Amino acid sequence: MSQPRNVLLLIGSPRGEGSNSHMIGKFLVDKLEEKSLVSEEAFATRLVNTREGTERLLKSVDNADIIVLATPMYVDSLPSPTIKAMELIHEHRKAMFPTKSQMLVAIINSGFPEKEQIDIALKIIQNFAQDSNFKWGGGIRVGWGMALNSEPLNEKKGMTRKLTAGLSLASVNLSEGHPMSEEAKDLASTLFISPFLAKSMTRLFGNRGWNKQAKDNNAQTNMYDRPYEPNQ
Amino acid sequence: MKTVIFDGAKEGDLTIKAIEKSITDQLTEKGWEVEPLELRNMQIAACLGCFGCWVKTPGTCVINDDGRETTRKAIQSDLMVWLTPVTFGGYSSELKKALDRIIPILLPYFQSYHGQIHHKMRYKKYPKLLVIGVQEPGVDYEETFMALAERNMLNFRPPAYAVSVFQRAKDPKKIPVFVEEQLKKLEVIS
Repeated sequence: MSQPRNVLLLIGSPRGEGSNSHMIGKFLVDKLEEKSLVSEEAFATRLVNTREGTERLLKSVDNADIIVLATPMYVDSLPSPTIKAMELIHEHRKAMFPTKSQMLVAIINSGFPEKEQIDIALKIIQNFAQDSNFKWGGGIRVGWGMALNSEPLNEKKGMTRKLTAGLSLASVNLSEGHPMSEEAKDLASTLFISPFLAKSMTRLFGNRGWNKQAKDNNAQTNMYDRPYEPNQ
Repeated sequence: MKTVIFDGAKEGDLTIKAIEKSITDQLTEKGWEVEPLELRNMQIAACLGCFGCWVKTPGTCVINDDGRETTRKAIQSDLMVWLTPVTFGGYSSELKKALDRIIPILLPYFQSYHGQIHHKMRYKKYPKLLVIGVQEPGVDYEETFMALAERNMLNFRPPAYAVSVFQRAKDPKKIPVFVEEQLKKLEVIS
């Protein structure tokens, strides 16, 4: 692949700018901008349900040399607007003759601490890339999203040090027209604490977090409601 | 006994329509009540990812559209069927928009299950689950599709489940036998 110039950050999270997907993807794209690439952002949820939005999405994809698809994992795969965007892009590219080499990179984040839970979602994006004539640039699996708290990533913060180091390394690979290296993917996909500790903390603090949110909404006494219980 | 079918096909998908009809015919003959839902014709907005269904209105999605009905019908059925074209190894966006919205059938709370963190169950009883993907010729994503469905079973924990892929290139006359095999695996017909 020749020297890439344009990068598209395609966000699959319905939470938009305030999502972990955006924070992680933006960190990578900012690093690419430092290397003189020009970036553009697109949000799948806002584009896939209208003709104008679809046209804008496809034009942005056509223009990009690198597409960074940053999305959360929903129900073991991808949110429906992300899948819809992939269906539309695939349909569009099926009918065209590729005039340039374009690379697709995936970043998937999940609330669960185990990155292995993301493997199938990542494989689906890889299949999409193959079916749609993109060069596969590799995927990063970010577990334990609760630790990121939808805040901009900070290279100096212990919690995000490995993730940011991996993304920085990936930006070097991608800016030179190469797929992300194994080292970059592994580093970015590694938690800052042991998986055992992350799992224990998820059960403890994650569950407390749900109760806190419910209390803030005056819903704490209804947490176990079964509104659709048969025979009610 | 009730069955709800989540039809995740695009308009004009004759193979999925034939599978849906065969399921309906075979179960109706055994006295089941079957309700196919053409998801593409329903008003189901995309999940907002807001977790309101867990911490604001526990058990009910905050979006008031057909997504609430699909969730209610799912939990009140004895058998839930998901039909979809195999889409890059996963589910179509039409099926997925309904599945993203049924997470209030689970609790938000985390627990260890099969060595990994998953959500706890909200209800005492869940339907059996049949997942059928229709695979286009020229690609082979069956392995990814089966693996995805297996992962879903860890989260939805149905009392019994069956997952299978039907090749679109196959003779449509084979559909009734294929469907019969799946329903027998679930012991909903003998």
